Amino acid sequence: MWLIKQLAEQLSHDPSTIKVSEPLTRYGLDSIDAVTLVGDLEDWLDMKLPDTLFWDYPTIAKASQYLAENFDITGALDNLKAEELTTVVPNNKASENLAENKKGWGGLFGRFK
Amino acid sequence: MHQLKQYSVAETLEKDLGDPLDPNNIMSFKQVVDIDETEEFPHSQIEWLYNWKLQHYYVPAECGGEFTSFEEFVAFVRVLSRRDQTIGIAFTTLFWSFITWMSGSDEQKQKLANYIKNEQGTMCLGYSEREHGSDLVGGDLTAKKVSGGYILNGEKWPINRATISGISYILAKTAPEGGAKCLTLFMVNKRELDPEKYYNLPKILTHGIRASDMSGIGFKDCFVPDSMRLKNEGDGLEIALKGFQITRTLCAAFSLGAADTALRTTLNFASKRIVYGKTVFDLPQPRQTLVDAFLDLLICDCETIGSARGFHVVPEQFSVWASVVKYFVTTQLETMINNVYVVLGSRFYMREEHDWGIFQKVLRDNSIISMFDGSTVVNLHALILQLRPLTKYRSRRKSNTMAEIQGRLETIFSLEKPLPTFTPTELELFGRGIDDPLQGLEIALQQLEDLKQTSDLDEQVLENLLQLGNLVLEELDNHDQLIANSKFEYGHDQSPELFEIAKKYCNLHAAAACLHMWLYNRTILGDFFAKGEWLVLSLHRLLRTIRHLPYCLSEIYVENTAQELLKLYKEDKLFSIVPFQLAQSQSPEDKPYATSGLQLKA
Ligand SMILES: Cc1cc2nc3c(=O)[nH]c(=O)nc-3n(C[C@H](O)[C@H](O)[C@H](O)COP(=O)(O)OP(=O)(O)OC[C@H]3O[C@@H](n4cnc5c(N)ncnc54)[C@H](O)[C@@H]3O)c2cc1C
Repeated sequence: MWLIKQLAEQLSHDPSTIKVSEPLTRYGLDSIDAVTLVGDLEDWLDMKLPDTLFWDYPTIAKASQYLAENFDITGALDNLKAEELTTVVPNNKASENLAENKKGWGGLFGRFK
Repeated sequence: MHQLKQYSVAETLEKDLGDPLDPNNIMSFKQVVDIDETEEFPHSQIEWLYNWKLQHYYVPAECGGEFTSFEEFVAFVRVLSRRDQTIGIAFTTLFWSFITWMSGSDEQKQKLANYIKNEQGTMCLGYSEREHGSDLVGGDLTAKKVSGGYILNGEKWPINRATISGISYILAKTAPEGGAKCLTLFMVNKRELDPEKYYNLPKILTHGIRASDMSGIGFKDCFVPDSMRLKNEGDGLEIALKGFQITRTLCAAFSLGAADTALRTTLNFASKRIVYGKTVFDLPQPRQTLVDAFLDLLICDCETIGSARGFHVVPEQFSVWASVVKYFVTTQLETMINNVYVVLGSRFYMREEHDWGIFQKVLRDNSIISMFDGSTVVNLHALILQLRPLTKYRSRRKSNTMAEIQGRLETIFSLEKPLPTFTPTELELFGRGIDDPLQGLEIALQQLEDLKQTSDLDEQVLENLLQLGNLVLEELDNHDQLIANSKFEYGHDQSPELFEIAKKYCNLHAAAACLHMWLYNRTILGDFFAKGEWLVLSLHRLLRTIRHLPYCLSEIYVENTAQELLKLYKEDKLFSIVPFQLAQSQSPEDKPYATSGLQLKA
């Protein structure tokens, strides 16, 4: 599910129209895009993944199965939830970081839009 | 010999090839122009290079050859290309062998090394097809699996050295349904094929590199054994894209060689031609044009030499860096050649009149460099897809990230530092947002600040550098803001504006490379380099295309740079941050151009 949501967002598609067994290329994803998409996923899960992930596992079903079998996805998602809380409830540290970067990151770079 | 030993192969090759202005030499301008007129492949020149054993420098040391560094490689390809890009490119198709050094089995590597070193073997790259140029996945040449091998069907076109080469790297479709894993790469050895089953396509007549073997290759139910397949079925695109990271970086060497000749032959003219009672070089506008051309070479040098070394240190960053170099250096120098022809005047359009018409040949030959091996738009597109991760990574740098970047920058840019062995297995399809030269910009600015304490530098130069360096940073911050707030799309329908933004990124990248190069080599590359006036002018030149700046920062710096240009010209030294010795010209007093008296009559 998490992968569908993430991909739908990246590809500007309605999550409900994305089928897990369809090749991602159906959603307008080119070979090179598929590589960049791994980057987004890495970023989101905060772990290093193989750069040919979506080449080797070209559907959401296959990619999530591979990830679930080879990576600690539950752990990563738990971390993510914890982090989400700290970003949603701004504390001093979060605003400090922001000030340090001197950049107002638009919605684009937030982990959740 | 130059003190930096990585330049000694290039220097020796130069010396042995001799003065290109002496018609008797094998690759003199006269000879290469004659070859161009006949449009016949330069067999004897290529043979000469094999006998010189240059091919050994295309085989990595660990595979039994002499290749040790890309920096050395770039320098000697430059030497070839300054005489003739046609020969430079024809010989350097050998470099496609890197596909095998990168992804071949031990047996494949051994076989290839032997073929290159002992049998004067050469190769070509068969990726493009008539119907599909840049779109590799769209290709139609198929490989159907049969017992013990594959059956190839289809054509590759236009391919440099398709006919006159023994090995063709052929990208073939093994999965008809398409997708990123639909391609497989074969190292096809023609000698082991049934000659009835493959054919060469006729020579393609081109505007430049006319004596090339531009042709194509076709297969009809042609069996190739499994032993010719590189890695596994489906790995073709990955190998191809990683291979491009290597060769795109090296294309810069072709352009740098051509640009040297364009500038040198123009100086041959401008320093002797008298108009209105003085030489062309003494007129302010042509002088500025030539100084700007020299700066372009120095800027491109910093970007190219930096990347050639960077390859050994940060191969994982080259999905970005290779695109920057391939776009920036080739187009910057293309423009530079177009700028100087105005100074050469009418002779730029004549085929025999000045230095055997070499300028026109350079102009024609060189214009293919930005097109092949991934065109300008393809490289910018590749960069566009990475702009967002780059911006994101930059915003997240912490002090330990900066310390790591600093360590790497020092190894990359200090020309005296030894380089680690190149490890192609560390190439990555995308760079995860890391780009040391630009992300280390603040480090360079801090180093400039620190230089205030040392007395050996002109205060004004340092002040200028700090100001301009901070403008580069400001522009980079603006760039990041823009990207952070823009909407990102995948695919090929990128907005034209993004292409302009990517160009600007390359421009800033080059500025950062210049700064790093100077900071790490101030004390070893001679007085002119050390003084840094050229760097002030170079940063100004790069920034002026991005923002409004005064036309000239210092007439004195321009004058000193003009003097250095003349000095290198008179001493037959390369126009470069590493101005090594070229073959010395025998006839400094070649035929005089019209004296002022003759001018009046005309
Ligand atoms: C002299 C010469 C030597 C060559 N040598 C070789 C060789 O040895 N081996 C080999 O495999 N090939 C070789 N080529 C082929 C060369 O690499 C292709 O010509 C090149 O890739 C461009 O392909 P194309 O001209 O078919 O353009 P197409 O791919 O058909 O593109 C047409 C136009 O579409 C636009 N376009 C394409 N992609 C994009 C994008 N991503 N974003 C925006 N716009 C885009 C551009 O304006 C482009 O010019 C050679 C070509 C020449 C002329």
